[in-house]
Amino acid sequence: MAELLIKNACVIDPINRINGEMMDIAVRDGMIVESVGPAAAVIDAGGALTLPGGIDSHTHICGTKVNFGRYMSPEDMRAGRTTRRGEMHATSGYSVPTCYGNSYRYSAMGYTTVLEGAMAPIGARHTHEEFAHTPLQDAMANVLFDGNWGIMQAIRDGDQDRVAAIVAWTLAAAKGFAIKLTNPGGTEAWGWGKNITCINDRVPYFEVTPTEIIRSMIRANESLNLPHSVHLHCNNLGTPGNYACTLGTFDLVPDLNDKRQTLYATHVQFHSYGGSTWKDFCSKSEEIARSLNAKPQIVIDMGQVMFGKTTTMTADGPMEFNLYRLHHNKWSNHDVELETGSGVVPVTYRRSNLVNSVMWAIGLELALLARNPWQCILTTDNPNGAPFVKYPEIIGLLMSQKYRSKIFATVHPQTEHRTPLQAIDRELDWYEIAVMTRAAQAKALGIIDLGKGHLGPGAIADIAIYPIQIKDIDPSKEYEQVIRAFQQTNYTIKGGNVVSRNGYCTGTSHNTTYWVKPEVPAALDLDHDPEFEKYFQLYTVRKSNYIVQERALHLNRCIETEASL
Amino acid sequence: MMTVHLEVKKRKNPYIPIEADEIIPKNFINKDQELFVWRGNRKVPLEEVFLKRIEGTASYAKEIEIVITGESGRIKRVGEYMDAGAILIEGDIGMHCGNFMSGGTIEIRGDADAWLGREMTGGTIVCRGNAGDYCGSGYRGEKKGMRGGTVEVFGDAGDFTAEALAGGTIVVHGNAGDLCGAEMKGGALVIHGNASRVCGNMSGGTCTVYGTVADMLPTFAYVGTTEDPDSRTALTEFAGDVANRGKGRLLVHSFIRA
Ligand SMILES: [Zn+2]
Repeated sequence: MAELLIKNACVIDPINRINGEMMDIAVRDGMIVESVGPAAAVIDAGGALTLPGGIDSHTHICGTKVNFGRYMSPEDMRAGRTTRRGEMHATSGYSVPTCYGNSYRYSAMGYTTVLEGAMAPIGARHTHEEFAHTPLQDAMANVLFDGNWGIMQAIRDGDQDRVAAIVAWTLAAAKGFAIKLTNPGGTEAWGWGKNITCINDRVPYFEVTPTEIIRSMIRANESLNLPHSVHLHCNNLGTPGNYACTLGTFDLVPDLNDKRQTLYATHVQFHSYGGSTWKDFCSKSEEIARSLNAKPQIVIDMGQVMFGKTTTMTADGPMEFNLYRLHHNKWSNHDVELETGSGVVPVTYRRSNLVNSVMWAIGLELALLARNPWQCILTTDNPNGAPFVKYPEIIGLLMSQKYRSKIFATVHPQTEHRTPLQAIDRELDWYEIAVMTRAAQAKALGIIDLGKGHLGPGAIADIAIYPIQIKDIDPSKEYEQVIRAFQQTNYTIKGGNVVSRNGYCTGTSHNTTYWVKPEVPAALDLDHDPEFEKYFQLYTVRKSNYIVQERALHLNRCIETEASL
Repeated sequence: MMTVHLEVKKRKNPYIPIEADEIIPKNFINKDQELFVWRGNRKVPLEEVFLKRIEGTASYAKEIEIVITGESGRIKRVGEYMDAGAILIEGDIGMHCGNFMSGGTIEIRGDADAWLGREMTGGTIVCRGNAGDYCGSGYRGEKKGMRGGTVEVFGDAGDFTAEALAGGTIVVHGNAGDLCGAEMKGGALVIHGNASRVCGNMSGGTCTVYGTVADMLPTFAYVGTTEDPDSRTALTEFAGDVANRGKGRLLVHSFIRA
């Protein structure tokens, strides 16, 4: 029986409505308990800010496209080298680091749980292998359904039960966690040399629209009682004027779940653009935030852009082709058989570039204009907007108008005519930051009941202690101290074990992969469905090899849900 | 002037690779500076792998010559980021010799392994024996290979010689392997012997093959015949790679279509 007592912690735990209380946290066998015995090991937090372990609800750190980003950019691999130290493996890479690089850097920042934002089911095995080598975080993966032939066919046939059945089978086969739609229908259209410009265009051959795909997948998601909602990357990413498409998409979303949102819209910064060309490109964050504020059934994440080098990677193949035509940089594009696609392009976001400056402003505006921090999650869509190591700087920008003005003075001078950022004086407080970096994620992913994202008795003991005394500091002025504190914890504790101490990580953690297995009525079980078998004649692998066996996973926890079908 | 003699000590397991990117002239200006190499996954003092003997003194890198003797065929990254001075390798040298080099000279009396002079920007490399694959190329995923300087190989060179060459000159006196000059963007590649499938997707620069090109790519446009002023041999000139709207020049003595 391993016991640990964290004394004198200044705790913010939004899920339990604790805001800056000095308290002790007791841990037994990896779980938080009411109290421990006198023999427990003691960590004296000395009044330092103590939060539940950070959760990234949308990041790209494991899987085939991440690996492609690694090997097409030797310059990126050279940019972030660290040597072996104690139990820490050598790492390399800056925007697309090695698995250990991602894991150590997240851990040093207090993150204990990550969700890989896009896993093609046929590439799932690779993602799970990389999860196994991301030792300091629990992991889960969104499964890409945006161009799934079986689903589009079922939608066209009006067979909603079959849509749910394919989702259920595929989630369990890929050992995935949630439904991801990336530019729904668009990547399939790209296979025909086309794209989808908005939600009412038709996908070639399948003749369904993104509207139909989104509506049907939301219904399937809720009928399978999945922990997370549909996780959507809207159509038409990164094009001037796309905000109208985003608003139209938000209007499609009913409120179907009283525990969480019905739609998680990811990296909304990239979908909040006004104007008709890059010349009159401008921010439409106010319109998007107004829609969000009126729709509690939607949660977004920021997809903040930060200046510097990074790598873009997404299942949105046509978007990456447009990006390639803009930059003429290296480009990779993949067609992923009967389900999706992907593209990877390295980019540099520059302050001297007006478009990049406006993008930077939009992400911040969304976070500052969203009234409810539970509805706006802090992300960069790592590494698309910036590598996740920039999160502390984003926290600094959200907490300090002074810091925002300082950076604003260095961006393209036209930015003030294109964005409302300088007129927003809101400064987020510690509690709101705690919501946006862990609590809102736990709620949105539906993992509070699994003991994630809070510090109440019964929770998994994932705890981050940051070297900062929040009572003695004014974040609006002393933003540099805030940034430094969020860059490196004193202690990151995962499952009751200290996994990172002042940036020095240990290799031991019982990192667990969470996956979902929906139970459907026997009539909808596709395991022996001859029609469903036919798809596998078109794949390059057999059905038996397509399925990721449970034994191929590292430590894992299966979440069984009972479908209401 | 200073001469640094580095003799590779007898090794119990010569198959463990050694990375020795600290072996460049400027690191020896201060004779007492501690230098390290990587043996497998362990960082060890230079003296654990080499017997070091220094003659003379120097105030600038250009006054320093490093002479490497012994079994150096598995020692990698010698001369990486070298900017001045000289390195003489009596025997063979391992992979990535002269990576990113910007000045000075490296002479290899034996063979060089793969990636000789990778992404170098200046200076001179002379290899008396054979060079491995990817001589003067860019690393996998790199947009540009060698950007300046000269590499001269007296023996044969391997596959992908001068891949993505962007500047400088590579001369191979023997034969070169498959897919040489692929993705060439600039500079000059001269092959005195034979090669195959040269210059695929070339966009700029000049490649001259005095021997025979096997499996000549069909995406080069015939320009005419010229006489080479130096060797007085007739060469057929092509432009391409037309598949890439390339503006490169490819001159060959003879070729066989695939
Ligand atoms: Zn993403």
